[in-house]
Amino acid sequence: MVERMKDAEDRLLESMFDSPPIADDGFSVQVVRKVNKQLWFRRLTLPVAAIIGGVIAFKPLAGLVSLLASLFTLIPQDAVSMATSSIPQFQTIVLGAVLLIAGLIGLRMIEH
Amino acid sequence: MTSQEDNELVARAVSGQDTAAFGELVRRHQSHVRNFLRKLSGDYSLADDLAQDCFLHAWDKLQTYSGRGSFIGWLLKVAYTTFLQSKRKSKRYAEILESAGQVADQESRSKVVENEEITDLDKFLAVLTEEERAIMVMSYACGLSHREIGDATDLPVGTVKSVIFRGKDKIRNRFDIKDHKHG
Repeated sequence: MVERMKDAEDRLLESMFDSPPIADDGFSVQVVRKVNKQLWFRRLTLPVAAIIGGVIAFKPLAGLVSLLASLFTLIPQDAVSMATSSIPQFQTIVLGAVLLIAGLIGLRMIEH
Repeated sequence: MTSQEDNELVARAVSGQDTAAFGELVRRHQSHVRNFLRKLSGDYSLADDLAQDCFLHAWDKLQTYSGRGSFIGWLLKVAYTTFLQSKRKSKRYAEILESAGQVADQESRSKVVENEEITDLDKFLAVLTEEERAIMVMSYACGLSHREIGDATDLPVGTVKSVIFRGKDKIRNRFDIKDHKHG
């Protein structure tokens, strides 16, 4: 608040506009309570929405999964065995995961 | 009450979602904000409701406070915006505006304060337009500089100066301000 040039009239107006400070009387506590309530509401909104969405989506999702399973039985056995052989071995997957985790840890250390 | 302390409290509130630090900011500035809104609206209970809304908006927007101007200047900008938004929403106010324009604004202000002691300040504020009232209160009651008022009202400093000049002129022409009752 920069002090500007004041004349007598300015000082008079200041004294007229001057009013006694208003006591807090729990005002700030009330505001903080509302802020906390708002914070909790925001924190809970996403998980609650996810749970409700999951419950709503469960039945159609289960139907979709059973439909896909029934379609899977229609695929010829030769095609299925060919696709299975192209999936990497368990050991390769574990090795890949270990390398990925090590890489992420390394990156984090570099960042720090 | 230094701006350095205010900035530290803002930093704590923003970085750690520290509501205790924000509570301290509210405690420090509630009097200024409530006084500003009381003078602007003329209605004490409405002003206190608006002050609560103002602080809730301030909490939401706290990260936008850059720390360049004073925190109270930034807070009064939020308070003024809250006041204008609430007024726009108020259907009753729209009806008053449609029916009788500025005269009704002044009449409603006098009705609101009829149970309180009508001070000279209430009379002075009644002859000013809303913009003049806000700027005069920011200047003479809250002690904001012209630049800070310009930031708070989104007006150029030159316009702020001329609004203050016009406001003073209106008060000077209508009243003998040397013999007044403090507001």
